[in-house]
Amino acid sequence: MTIHVVVNGRPRDLEVAPHALLLDVLRDALDLKGAKRSCDTQVCGACTVLVDGLAVSACTYLAVEADGRSVLTVEGLAEGDALHPLQRAFVEAGAVQCGFCTSGMLLTARAMLAENAKPTRDDVLHYLRGSLCRCTGYRKIVDAVLAAAETVR
Amino acid sequence: MLRSFTLHRPETAEEACARLADLGEDAAVYAGGTELLLLMKLGLLRPRHLVDVKRIGGFAEIGLTPEHGGRLRLGAAVTHRAVEHSALVRARCPLVSSVARHVANVRVRNVGTVGGNLAFADPHSDLATLFLTLDATVELLSPRGRRELSLGEFIRGPWETSRAPDELLGSIALTPWAADTAAAYVKFGVHERPTLAVAAALRLDGAAGAGRHGADRIVEARVAVGCVGPRPVRVAEAEAQLRNASLADLEDAARAASESAAARVDPADDLYGSADYKREMVAVFVRRALRIAAARARGAEPAARFPHAVVA
Amino acid sequence: MSARPLRVVGQPVPRVDAIEKVTGRARYVTDLTLPGMAHAKVLRSPYAHARVRRVDVTRARGRAGVFAALAGADLTWCDPYYGPAYRDRPVLAIDVARYEGEPVAAVAAVDEATAEEALELIDVDYEPLAAVLSLEAALASGAPLVHAGQPPAGHFADLSTLRPRPGTNICHQWSFARGDAVAELAAAHIVVEDAYRFPSVQHVALEPHAVVAAWDETGALTLWASTQNPYSVRMELAKMFDVPLARIRVVVPHLGGGFGSKTYAKLEPLAATLARAAGRPVRLAASISEAFQTVRRCAARVAVRAGFRRDGTLLAVECDADYDVGAYADIGPRVVQKGTYTATGPYRVPHAKLAARAVYTNTTPGGAFRGFGVPQLAWALESLFDVAADRLGRDPVDLRRQNFLAHGEEFAPGDTPIDGKLEESLGRAAEAIRWAQMPAADRGRGVAAMLKASVAPSISQAIVRLHADGSVTVLASAVEMGQGTRTVLAQLAAEVLSVPLAQVMVVPPDTAVTPYDQTTSSSRSTAMTGRAVQVAAEDVRDQLLAIAAQHLGVALRDLALDEGSVVAPSRRVTYAEALALEFGMSGGELIGRGVIAPGRTAAPLGGSTPFWEVAVGAAEVSVDEETGALRIERYVSVADVGRAINPLLLEGQDEGGVVQGLGHTLLEEMLYADGHLLNGTLLVYRVPRADDTPGELECHFVENADGSGPFGAKGAGEGSLIPVSPAVANALARLTGVRLRDLPLTPERVWRALRSRSARP
Repeated sequence: MTIHVVVNGRPRDLEVAPHALLLDVLRDALDLKGAKRSCDTQVCGACTVLVDGLAVSACTYLAVEADGRSVLTVEGLAEGDALHPLQRAFVEAGAVQCGFCTSGMLLTARAMLAENAKPTRDDVLHYLRGSLCRCTGYRKIVDAVLAAAETVR
Repeated sequence: MLRSFTLHRPETAEEACARLADLGEDAAVYAGGTELLLLMKLGLLRPRHLVDVKRIGGFAEIGLTPEHGGRLRLGAAVTHRAVEHSALVRARCPLVSSVARHVANVRVRNVGTVGGNLAFADPHSDLATLFLTLDATVELLSPRGRRELSLGEFIRGPWETSRAPDELLGSIALTPWAADTAAAYVKFGVHERPTLAVAAALRLDGAAGAGRHGADRIVEARVAVGCVGPRPVRVAEAEAQLRNASLADLEDAARAASESAAARVDPADDLYGSADYKREMVAVFVRRALRIAAARARGAEPAARFPHAVVA
Repeated sequence: MSARPLRVVGQPVPRVDAIEKVTGRARYVTDLTLPGMAHAKVLRSPYAHARVRRVDVTRARGRAGVFAALAGADLTWCDPYYGPAYRDRPVLAIDVARYEGEPVAAVAAVDEATAEEALELIDVDYEPLAAVLSLEAALASGAPLVHAGQPPAGHFADLSTLRPRPGTNICHQWSFARGDAVAELAAAHIVVEDAYRFPSVQHVALEPHAVVAAWDETGALTLWASTQNPYSVRMELAKMFDVPLARIRVVVPHLGGGFGSKTYAKLEPLAATLARAAGRPVRLAASISEAFQTVRRCAARVAVRAGFRRDGTLLAVECDADYDVGAYADIGPRVVQKGTYTATGPYRVPHAKLAARAVYTNTTPGGAFRGFGVPQLAWALESLFDVAADRLGRDPVDLRRQNFLAHGEEFAPGDTPIDGKLEESLGRAAEAIRWAQMPAADRGRGVAAMLKASVAPSISQAIVRLHADGSVTVLASAVEMGQGTRTVLAQLAAEVLSVPLAQVMVVPPDTAVTPYDQTTSSSRSTAMTGRAVQVAAEDVRDQLLAIAAQHLGVALRDLALDEGSVVAPSRRVTYAEALALEFGMSGGELIGRGVIAPGRTAAPLGGSTPFWEVAVGAAEVSVDEETGALRIERYVSVADVGRAINPLLLEGQDEGGVVQGLGHTLLEEMLYADGHLLNGTLLVYRVPRADDTPGELECHFVENADGSGPFGAKGAGEGSLIPVSPAVANALARLTGVRLRDLPLTPERVWRALRSRSARP
């Protein structure tokens, strides 16, 4: 079936099978490799993308559900060469190590900031509870999100 | 990786039921997919047809039933997120809104539905536990018409409901508590899914807020324990022990109620813990939930934080 | 050179690969596509132990879209066994499957869906056999054997003395002794002893193992692999396929985490075999649950006895450790050796009797995991140390301080003397955790110290190239898996050559291009690979200076490098100008070489450790006694690193190490029943989340520039993880009086221990 999706601001017409998962369509058909397949069970968040601004596990989300919607992946966060404040904060805070969880963290934080511009540390932990990282121990990630919140404000 | 299937997108419940009747075991009902697609990926289910219920009129709505007083009606395809953010839910059943906020993780809440959650009867369901204290009923639609079951009749056991293969869960209705009810929901567990959950509601005598002035008799109590056994349960014995207790003397009644709750549940030794540990923890958290509800009855919001527990 | 203040070494510069990672442009193996690439899936044994009577892949092979379908019996054209210690692991099971999840057959097809469907067309006849799932079962007399006969030794120098015990499940034994521990223990004023258990845990790198393999028309093999040691993989494949090393190329893009899970060949042999059979490139990518069936940490049971004098002097330690290495040895024998070697911890122990065994069981093979045997032993010794302190009526910090090895003291004859300042690390930790003040009534504090050797002997080589425009390329095979090695190597080259960091390009590891490096593990990349890069850069520097001296007619001693130029008393030439002077035209480059290969020594493990990793951990905990749930209120990690080349990256590493340590301390354990792994997915295997981090977490560094690495650096990254479990258990004991000996300290375990404490009269 044909679906019409706005991906990172660009309208796309895509031919997808009903059983195609959004993660595979983004990675394989659109070459947007930033979202990663990791746990494949909605626990880790490495596959997170935003559909109409809401975080979803692309590994367990049918591509057809994105029909008529907008999808934001990590490739759509920066504006040209200008990094999003979250990306800049992650770089400066040392919140990136292996990078496999990074796109999921960034997008989840972006969704949170759209809903809550003044998050407390607890608010950030609530949102990131479903995003796993095995490298950083999370501290610099949380610091980066809070720092970015300040900047965005 | 999913095997291929045909996706049906009926726009009426009749059409959906007709499809289910035609396709039988080859079909699965599909809403958010957070349970269904996961089971399909794991190879545990292989439906060749998915019947998507998200376009059926009324399935994504939150409203009040027409009867006097109005019960809160949640369409089967209402997401956890919608419940969390609904002004109507917050007004009529505030604890439902708070608990919805803590189901799984933010991504599951954005996509997963209340109907899907109950229809799968995952033994670790937060909402199933809470809904038992709200006289929850489920509406089942089929070519034969419509029937309503209490949630307790609907959930038979782990992953097992009373839904016939050609029946569709259309909505869930909750009876809001009376205005002078104080309640708490606490879940505990180290794993991704909770090891146990307790919902406790205390209706106090007198006018609304009477509890704050010391007039503190519990007129009615509801205690549900879930996520720890094959299905969530209301603990009638505990509720009886709490009836007529005073908030000032709550500790004794709470202890008795907690012991009843521990005796009432039927946990197994598994990855989430041994049966006797779980029983003990049920007792601990029934007492804690009651204490929090009692504090709320007095207008206080206790800063209760327990490691590995979520308080709503 | 050393007089001038450092420009970029020691600076918390953002990592050089940060931008590509935050924009989603960083490439990992599963982001790579080759033309005509096939996708592989693996059929795995459902039994812990079974004879594989027959594997019929005919129907799978015949399915449209399938390029290859293989079973063990098909591997007649290569050596189907591999393994760094013993070559005991078949690419696909041959005659017997030895653990649940062992690859039995594999398919390469046009896409993943076809490959999955083809797996269902494979018929296997299994004859289940009795299995051993625990150390006790494997060691019992008459226990079923996981392996019959003795496999040939693998490829490592320090393992040339592998010692299996035929007719048993003991695949290696190792012992070390000095003095007369038995006599000293008999005579000691107090003797404490206990047995401790460390669980099987999995690394859970977010990127599971993945590899793309492609043979070309000349019979040369290229792999893109998520591996921590491309050269070890190359060696393994060369042996398997009888191909010269020069015709095997292993390329390593970014790794999504490693932690030891990706050391030594794992899926590469199977991918290469499938690619050969399929006649096209093959991608083999594991899922997280398949990672649980590929490698894990070696679980251990450690019995330790320690004897003290009345004045608190530690006299003797006797230790017996059994490690569960699973169905195949992997690097288990070295884990056992290295871990046991430092079983006496960071203390002066004149009498020691240490013995360890690596034991086969019918479970996922155990291999390397951050800490490499030392977490298991430190769990035991550091817990026992506090028990001793209690018996002696001594403060645990004080008792440790009294017995610490001193800076410069010998650890074992022939090995490198201690190059860290244990007392300073302990002092910093004690101060940061406020040891001298009473904690609040609901809090308890505990400390633990550790010492770890790095793998020796080992080899690291590097090439540095200075290009005609003054920019620099660093060629080294240390793998970037998040720890920041690409950035550190760039900083080192930039420092030595006095160029801006942005002018330095570190090439990702590629055995056709970047020279030999033994492994990215053992906390060694800064100290060893970094040193090789430093030496290579110094080689370039020396060439530059010589060119300038010659062409400018200036004495060497009057020349210096500064910001991309060679500076003489009255002239400056840029590097570009210097090269033009040397070559007489534009073009050309300077090439520098660094080789760090200390070689074998008389040290007990065959090589002298290039540095000692020294670290201390201190925890402050509270406990919800009604549930047994622990909360880490504060945690302090102190690592003696010599010189922090990049303090920002180092702090991130150690924060991550502490939280990963909290995983096995509080949450993680692989559970087996009836031969099945019960919790091999993240739905039920619980790794630390963002809300599991300590309330306060501080990572400190002791920097005395006393290491043999560049600018006095030593290694880091494992020391932050190792003390976590004993520090937490010691804190719990000091708070509640209960001593737990089995990890993880789940709420239920703590709760039970608290109850039996109360139940005692």
